Amino acid sequence: MHRRGAGLAAFDRQEQSKRSFAQLSSTISQSQVDHLHSQLSQFRTALAHFASTHRDSIKSDPTFRHAFQQMCSSIGVDPLAGPRKGGWWAEMLGMGDWQYELGVQIVDVCVSTRDRNGGLIEISELIRLVSKLRGVNSGEITEDDISRSIKTLQPLGAGYQVVEIGGKKMVRSVVKELDDDQTTILAIAQEHGGRVVENMLVQKKGWTRDRATAALGNMLLRDGLCWLDEQGEECGRAHWVLSAIQWDVQSRPRCAFAAT
Amino acid sequence: MALTTLTTHKTPSGFLLPSIHSAPPFFTQQPNPVSQSAVTDHWINLILAYARYRRLFILRVEDAETAGSEWDEILRNERIRHRMPPSHLSTILAAMVQRNVAAYESPKQTRSALVYWRLPEEWADVLHRWAADTGQLNTILTFYDITDPPLESPLSGIPVLLLKKAISILSKSGKAQTISIADGEGVRFFAGGR
Repeated sequence: MHRRGAGLAAFDRQEQSKRSFAQLSSTISQSQVDHLHSQLSQFRTALAHFASTHRDSIKSDPTFRHAFQQMCSSIGVDPLAGPRKGGWWAEMLGMGDWQYELGVQIVDVCVSTRDRNGGLIEISELIRLVSKLRGVNSGEITEDDISRSIKTLQPLGAGYQVVEIGGKKMVRSVVKELDDDQTTILAIAQEHGGRVVENMLVQKKGWTRDRATAALGNMLLRDGLCWLDEQGEECGRAHWVLSAIQWDVQSRPRCAFAAT
Repeated sequence: MALTTLTTHKTPSGFLLPSIHSAPPFFTQQPNPVSQSAVTDHWINLILAYARYRRLFILRVEDAETAGSEWDEILRNERIRHRMPPSHLSTILAAMVQRNVAAYESPKQTRSALVYWRLPEEWADVLHRWAADTGQLNTILTFYDITDPPLESPLSGIPVLLLKKAISILSKSGKAQTISIADGEGVRFFAGGR
């Protein structure tokens, strides 16, 4: 067995090997950094290539867009991060613009239908109107796109929110909390094609008549979420939640934005 | 799940009713002012469009009281068994007068109104153009010659009250002059302003 060095010379040798190890380590980390740099630039090139090839499909094909967004979130990249956050994704893909544009269109539809639906619109109806606004050639829009765009609107504090009522997704464009009773009423309205009468609430939900009257009155008078019908056949007064009614596509009344 | 779908409907006269006309609450006056203003907007558009289509000039609260009026196609919807209550119609008429798309037929009452599917200023233009196109400038015409011309004109059936408004607008710019004639009033049109 080789004898381990002893004495002063051993110290020297130890110092020396320490130095060479340090040198080696810095060389290695340097090469790692270089390697990373080259990987990053390769990634950038690949991304730029991806962006230029798929930019149009991202904008026009909802399935592709969804897949892309899922990919982004799984690798922890925000495709909407603007240039200021150092996001060259947004620059290269124009994804941010696309999303903001959709946001503006959502606001347009929500505001222009508010007098009719009290600021609550079913998501499929919203998609239909937004698509109409965008014209034929701009590709399909999905619920997912709408939800994302609404999230981008959040910093504006306008209170846009996706809520689920009676198993249906709706977009609320007014800052107003729906209380439990209102949510129940909206769910019933959806089951009955938009029509709600006091008796339904009393019989099906076991509410007292006062509670039903008060809740419907609030929706009607305070929030404008439903319209009154005094000529109902059986029960006289009926309340109609207009956002739960299907409107004929061609003949939507006074649709300022459909003129184009 | 019951789904209410509102659709357009073509009336026997060929007028296409908007889908909101089949929404039951459309016929009720809404207690919420914002909702009511939406309802009012829709009604005013509908009334003006229908009046233009059928060339109707006068809308009365009575038209909502009894069936058989020439406005029945819009004031009633038998498919959903709803009709415009007279009190609601009266509110809509008031809104129309306020927005200057109608005028009470005689100023002292609020039960009947001239419906301006063309404004008096527009009628004045139509009237003057008609007189010029048919070579009747500088000729004395009776009101009857205008409201009931031998050849159907854009002015056929115009109420005398509205005709007088149009003539007085033309008189202000020197394009017309009312003249007393043997059996009442007549009018003479001139080419341009003096």
